[in-house]
Amino acid sequence: MLISLSWRNIWRNKTRSMIVVAAIAVGLFGGVMAVGILNGWINQRVHDSIYNEIAHVQIHNPEYLLNEETNLYINNTNEILAVTDTMKDVKGVSARIRLFCMAQSDRATTGMVVMGINPTEEEKVSQIYRKIIAGEYVDTTHQIPSIVIGSKAAEVLKLINYRITTEKMDTLLEQKLPEQIVDSVKLLIDKSYRKKSALLKDIKSILSKSNFQKYADRLASVFSEYRLNKSLVLTIQSSNGELHYQLFKVRGIYQTSNSQFDAANAFVDRSVLAKMAGLKPNQVHQVAIICNDMDKAQSVSNELAKLFPTVSVRSWKQTSPEIALYAQFGDFMGLIYVVIILFALAFGIINTMMMSVLERIKELGMLMAIGMNKVKVFIMIMLESVMLSLTGGVVGMGLSAVILAILGHTGIDFSAWSEGFAALGFSSVVYPSIGIIDYIEITVLVVLTGIISSLWPARRALKLNPIEALREE
Amino acid sequence: MAVIEVINVEKTYNESQIKVTALKNINLTIEAGEFTAIVGPSGSGKTTLLNLLGGLDKPTSGRIRVGDVWVDTLKGSKLINFRLHHIGFVFQSYNLIPVLSAGENVELIMQLQGVPAAERRKIAYSLLEKVGLADRYKSKPSQLSGGQQQRVAVARALASKPNFILADEPTANLDGKSAENLLQMMELLNKDDGVTFIFSTHDQRVVNRAHRVVVLEDGVIKES
Ligand SMILES: Nc1ncnc2c1ncn2[C@@H]1O[C@H](COP(=O)(O)OP(=O)(O)O)[C@@H](O)[C@H]1O
Ligand SMILES: [Mg+2]
Repeated sequence: MLISLSWRNIWRNKTRSMIVVAAIAVGLFGGVMAVGILNGWINQRVHDSIYNEIAHVQIHNPEYLLNEETNLYINNTNEILAVTDTMKDVKGVSARIRLFCMAQSDRATTGMVVMGINPTEEEKVSQIYRKIIAGEYVDTTHQIPSIVIGSKAAEVLKLINYRITTEKMDTLLEQKLPEQIVDSVKLLIDKSYRKKSALLKDIKSILSKSNFQKYADRLASVFSEYRLNKSLVLTIQSSNGELHYQLFKVRGIYQTSNSQFDAANAFVDRSVLAKMAGLKPNQVHQVAIICNDMDKAQSVSNELAKLFPTVSVRSWKQTSPEIALYAQFGDFMGLIYVVIILFALAFGIINTMMMSVLERIKELGMLMAIGMNKVKVFIMIMLESVMLSLTGGVVGMGLSAVILAILGHTGIDFSAWSEGFAALGFSSVVYPSIGIIDYIEITVLVVLTGIISSLWPARRALKLNPIEALREE
Repeated sequence: MAVIEVINVEKTYNESQIKVTALKNINLTIEAGEFTAIVGPSGSGKTTLLNLLGGLDKPTSGRIRVGDVWVDTLKGSKLINFRLHHIGFVFQSYNLIPVLSAGENVELIMQLQGVPAAERRKIAYSLLEKVGLADRYKSKPSQLSGGQQQRVAVARALASKPNFILADEPTANLDGKSAENLLQMMELLNKDDGVTFIFSTHDQRVVNRAHRVVVLEDGVIKES
């Protein structure tokens, strides 16, 4: 009955309570969305980082980590692989030769890391093979060996031409660029460019400044054509310290959400790179392992470290502490956000509850006179405050749950700022997600806010003297 | 043994700089089953006396016994509990919680006492029947007339099974007819069920119905 009394007391002043409920709902909706987007980003960043770059566990010769030299390979690769093959938590293992090289195309030169991999092994560990945007993944059957490079590296190596054709106008329209923009760039049809800067210069002369800023990158990416099958000469230092070079053909371009990674990593057949570097088949620099579950990474890593004390075994948390930090503090940051919002809302709740107590002085005095003790008065006011907050909380979280369910499916497209995101390793489409735990935590925080907000108004009520409250004016 | 015994009570208010002596040298005994009116002009000390009897306030000096308890010595939750279980209150106004129905208002006090829900309902219903409002169980106070609201307040006071009922000017906000009806009903409860009533008033028609009249004047009992 105390609960039903409190509930009815809340709705005595409908408008006032509705305003507070709406404020809490909107505030929490914002908070939950923020947590969801942050979670979505972090999950994607952690996932991409693990599956494109660092895997769950990495094994190296400890000296290689200090000084990435060709002859600092792992000495006992075969023993390690024999063990990992039998571990039930291990899903995939890839042994990689990893060398720094100079890459020279017909138009430019850059430094990068070349990974010698076995494509079948590698596909179980990294998802680069799924990120091919032009050509094919590493194919070991060609006469002249293949190299797969990132889109950013292709740009640096000038392996991109920009050609403007009538078909591409249709692509632009399909991509929902405004017709007016497409019409303007039609002026450039049949032109082609070797340099992005030259293309951008012409686009700039056609479009207004704001449209240029908005659309130039998307136009460039549609007009770009990778120059596949072009030669790339890699120069490396072999295990005996000599420089060796080898001709590859660029047969594939990949693109991940991390443009820094795309600029710096190329993939070739391991046996080709081994021969070039003077390494035997079992001499590799890195063994990368993917486990069945992210949470198994640490135990697998610990077990291997115990078995093979001479090599360095690191879980993804050690390989990339900043990624581990993201994963760890993502939820925490989101909750801080919610706490700040609730803190602001608490003032509204306190104010409403205070008004509600002051309006009921006579009634509260009467209740205390007939024998309602202080604990019950306190509980009644606290219940009112908690139910008021919780109503807002439930509305806000319900709203968020629905919207998050939709957006978690469709994603939120931040591609207007996608360049900036890619530079930081974040993809431009975010799939916000929020766990049951987050909802529980937020509910607890809302209830706490309700309780804390009731303290002051309840104190005011408890200080009432019943005979003074009841005295007629 | 008398239900109430007041011995040499004096009450002085010191709140503002000026000392106001509201009650002086009060000696009073009230027996079970009385139907007593405290009468006197405004400011004579009626409310002050009833507050002392009800344990809502403390005498400056003197002693007050209710049943076998010296209420002037009770403090804090003991005092609140004593009020809850031994005294029925009817105030001039603001007796009822507006968001609760008549029946729920009667139930509320039993809930505070810890009476189980089913029993509460039964008692509340029979008490409303007693005060002639059996069909208004679900009505909100705002849907009741002033006289009906005071009847609900009497039913509520009875629900706590008190030693006696204190009613401070229960008819002050009622028209003559309603006041008459309320008093009739109270008298009936006194006659049939032996409920002890102590009520204050300055309305002569109400005074006429009292079985005993205690006259207060400037804080002193003139006649009892
Ligand atoms: N809290 C108080 N502070 C100061 N004086 C008071 C207080 N309550 C009552 N009084 C004074 O005590 C006297 C008696 O008041 P009260 O008992 O209310 O009389 P009645 O109920 O008969 O009108 C009055 O003079 C009144 O002004
Ligand atoms: Mg009075």
